[in-house]
Amino acid sequence: MKANDTVAVVRDSLTTAKDSLAGVHMNTPPDAIARNGRARRRWHRLTGLTGAMAVMAGTALAVTALAPSGHTASQSGHPASHPRTAQLAAWTVAKQANGDIKVTIRQLSDPSGLQSTLRADGVPASVTFLGQQDLSCRLYPMTQALFKNIYQAQNAAGSGNTILVIHPSALPSGAGVQIGAALGQQVGDRGLQQADGNQIVHQPVHQVAAGARNVALRVGLVYASQQCTGS
Amino acid sequence: MEFAEFYESTRDDCLRIVLLNVGDRHLAHDLVAEAYTRAWMSWRKVRELEVPRAWVVRTALNTHVSWWRRRRREVTLGNHDIAMPAEQASAVSGDLLAVLRRLPARQREVVTLRLLLDLDTETTARVLGIAPGTVGAHLHKAVATLRAAIPSHDSQEISK
Repeated sequence: MKANDTVAVVRDSLTTAKDSLAGVHMNTPPDAIARNGRARRRWHRLTGLTGAMAVMAGTALAVTALAPSGHTASQSGHPASHPRTAQLAAWTVAKQANGDIKVTIRQLSDPSGLQSTLRADGVPASVTFLGQQDLSCRLYPMTQALFKNIYQAQNAAGSGNTILVIHPSALPSGAGVQIGAALGQQVGDRGLQQADGNQIVHQPVHQVAAGARNVALRVGLVYASQQCTGS
Repeated sequence: MEFAEFYESTRDDCLRIVLLNVGDRHLAHDLVAEAYTRAWMSWRKVRELEVPRAWVVRTALNTHVSWWRRRRREVTLGNHDIAMPAEQASAVSGDLLAVLRRLPARQREVVTLRLLLDLDTETTARVLGIAPGTVGAHLHKAVATLRAAIPSHDSQEISK
């Protein structure tokens, strides 16, 4: 077989494989891409860093935030000890056609960006990743059934990322979502579990550093207010 | 062209191409979203490129390589190269795609640009910053490897 024929056979086979994915669509709306871009620009401006410097700073911040001893995050971490490689955005938010909000979290960083993005999507939200509680927030009584109505959480296949789907329509009147980090929690491989009153701890995520294996994403409900959830 | 128009017209194709390369729908979605976010942030520059969608696909795939190298150094949590749902990949394309994913990065880039994005050799060379002859050499090696994953009855028919 001639070389051109071989290329044609491979091209046809790859095209067929691609065509078989006709049902796969990129469902993130353009507005969400722009919002993520704006949030990252804000983050860069906030830190006074750009480009690779910002990536390094974000890494240091994330590692500090993930330390199981609950250190307060600061930029005085040790970026040199962490690989200086490009990385995915810490999180992405995508509003689905049915109104659900899909949050993919890879690193516990830029909580204010995530909070403002969720609020812009109409979800009253309080997000704190750094171990501190927002004192303006009051916990809203939670039940397992209520939790399951509002949140759906899963690990993305093999990646260790957490995908959290929020159903805003299931939020009780006067309630908002709360997302935070549970530092030092030993939650094993179980899915969801009740912990600390009305809070729910999700399975371990963000195993970015060897010393941070007992960090979990914590999600719950708070009473909505201008100060706590923005509305 | 405005970013929104570019995104609308290219996003599904870019996602499918990246999905063929990484085999995991969630991961492909995240990589492509990340690449478009970077494109949005640098849109003035990206819009002037010869083939902006090639930039998006390359950025997504390079992000995957960087991410995977970093992850390998830290903690092993699983294999991303396993997860294309069975209903989306026939046995033939499944074998072919498994081989595609194991190609050296440069060969895979060339195959992606030449055969999946359908760029010609000269454009591929400019996008990758290499000589056209080098594109041909990478493509030749890659196609030979990929061809072996395609059942032989195809070659018999074509050789007649």
